[in-house]
Amino acid sequence: MSDLVKLTIEGHEVEAPAGTSILEAAKLVGILIPHYCYHPALPVAGSCRMCLVEVEKSPKPQPACATPITPGMVVRVASDVARAARRAVLEFLLINHPLDCPICDQAGECELQDYTHEEGRAAGRYADYPKRYNPVEDFGPDVLYVPNRCILCTRCVRFMENVAQEPTLNVSERGDRARIGVFPGAALDHPWAGNVVDLCPVGSLLSKDFLNKARVWDLDKTASVCGGCTQGCNITLETRDNAVVRVKPRPNMAVNRWFICDEGRLGYAWLNRADRIEAPLVREGGRLVPVEWEVALARAAELVGAGDGPAVGLVSPGASCEALEAAARVLAARGEGSAGAFRVRQGPERPLAGVPDLALRAERAPNVAGALAAGFGRDWDAAVARARAAGLVLVLDESLAGLAEPVTDGALLYIGTVLPETARGAVVILPCTNVAEEEGSFVNLRGLRQRYAQARTPPGMARPAAWILDAILAALPARAARAGGRA
Amino acid sequence: MAITVKTMPRPETESSYVRATLKGMALTFRHLLAPKWTMQYPEQTSAPDWKLSPRWRGTHRMAVDEAGKAKCVACGLCPQVCPANCIKLIPGEDEKGNRYPLVYEIDEFRCVFCGYCQEVCPEEAIHVGVHYENAEYSRDAFVYDLERLMRQPHPVSTLWDPSDPKGE
Repeated sequence: MSDLVKLTIEGHEVEAPAGTSILEAAKLVGILIPHYCYHPALPVAGSCRMCLVEVEKSPKPQPACATPITPGMVVRVASDVARAARRAVLEFLLINHPLDCPICDQAGECELQDYTHEEGRAAGRYADYPKRYNPVEDFGPDVLYVPNRCILCTRCVRFMENVAQEPTLNVSERGDRARIGVFPGAALDHPWAGNVVDLCPVGSLLSKDFLNKARVWDLDKTASVCGGCTQGCNITLETRDNAVVRVKPRPNMAVNRWFICDEGRLGYAWLNRADRIEAPLVREGGRLVPVEWEVALARAAELVGAGDGPAVGLVSPGASCEALEAAARVLAARGEGSAGAFRVRQGPERPLAGVPDLALRAERAPNVAGALAAGFGRDWDAAVARARAAGLVLVLDESLAGLAEPVTDGALLYIGTVLPETARGAVVILPCTNVAEEEGSFVNLRGLRQRYAQARTPPGMARPAAWILDAILAALPARAARAGGRA
Repeated sequence: MAITVKTMPRPETESSYVRATLKGMALTFRHLLAPKWTMQYPEQTSAPDWKLSPRWRGTHRMAVDEAGKAKCVACGLCPQVCPANCIKLIPGEDEKGNRYPLVYEIDEFRCVFCGYCQEVCPEEAIHVGVHYENAEYSRDAFVYDLERLMRQPHPVSTLWDPSDPKGE
């Protein structure tokens, strides 16, 4: 660690490593200096002038983001000089900023709105001049650019240049005609491009997916973990009326910093699927009959406890660690030789160049490491072959897509969110919750076990798979006696 | 056991009803000749010296633009400010990319007629109305949807006195 520098910010004694900016040092004592162009993930631009603070013995206010701390420095954030400077900056920014907060998606989480409310002028002084107007531009698959709202902080430009390392955006034109432009022939289609929407402090860069969908203050936010790949990015699931409407990154310096890829950002529709199994189903005669949980669990325990031969588990690497571990325990209770396997959907690996060890991984499932740790293997084809002759096949949230029907000649115990055609021959079908409807944890590819929380209520009678499997385990008829009887 | 009733002996002048009746009838006949104050509602709803205040806050009305579309841009401020939580709003996007209310419903039963929705509206779209005659055949009909709100013919509230906007 380099030398610590002592300084005073707003009367607070602060000690920070040499080279730290005033803005970062102020964060250490809980003071957030207003800023637009500065972002900890991006190189310092110092262009917005919003973070001007008064530094004693300095002739003019200094930009807090670009001024390194020095020993004995005395910084004032809320002094008259600093306030007047920021007020003037806000007034300049608002000269051409449209008054369209009512139809702007950023309203409610807009930094321009917040800081203007905090320390801006109540009324503008440029009422006689028409505001600059430029039409909305389409930047790429999910990004829309509204030039009128832009404050030219260039966060998006710097993200594409320094973090994505695929320069796509620039500042076109000069002076008051300046706006963000796309290089000719290029489009903002980088697999991580959606992050510019989060980085934009105002409503200039918008997600087409979320456009006009909801007001941000209506959203309930729940900490979760992305289920898109083995990276395990931390996300916030934003729900309204029990439906996930937006996914935002949740900063975690150890995993995904401030970012998530577009596939994770836009791949949430399956969480809201309507064609879910809502009640436990049990085969009676030739038909599947909806029953109470007690009946279904007793029947499932009967299936696991009775019958001969080892069972085969076909599990999903998208299930929680808790569910996978419980499934492993159920298979172990069945007796020796019982084992399970999983398969993982593959896709191209899409790294984010500027951040070490961050990529949309090739294995597109969140809990591959968790499934391996629970004792499930990757020998999917062998497990499917064994399943055909097995006495019992336990399926945990696996789509069974591409498998020949029937999956097994024995009994099929299906635990899942939806009911695929291939699973309709099951003896017992138990509805389980998806990642947005339960609490659980995933292990990412670096072995980090991360918890996620429940964001919406499950449909019908669905329960977390871990509960279901533990209940089956508890209801198993005299496991000990069975083991003793065999010996 | 028999119930014994105690009778209070009173003089004839006190126990007779004739005097009281005459007194009451005198009052009645006096009013027959006096000027009348009653308004003949519902035939008559206002009088020269009495009408509903322009600041009356009654059931809502949605303003429409020249094209006959609702002025609402679905900004979400009225459901946010509503203390009774009676406004349901789901924003949508029309074919031109304009924001508009996909669903806009006000539960008039739940409404407390505070007028905050009118005050907060940046587009001057939703108003409380100068109107008090609300009768329906079912409770459901008191949930006014957007079309109903746009159809309402009654005048809208001014909320404050134009000659004294600060209420001084």
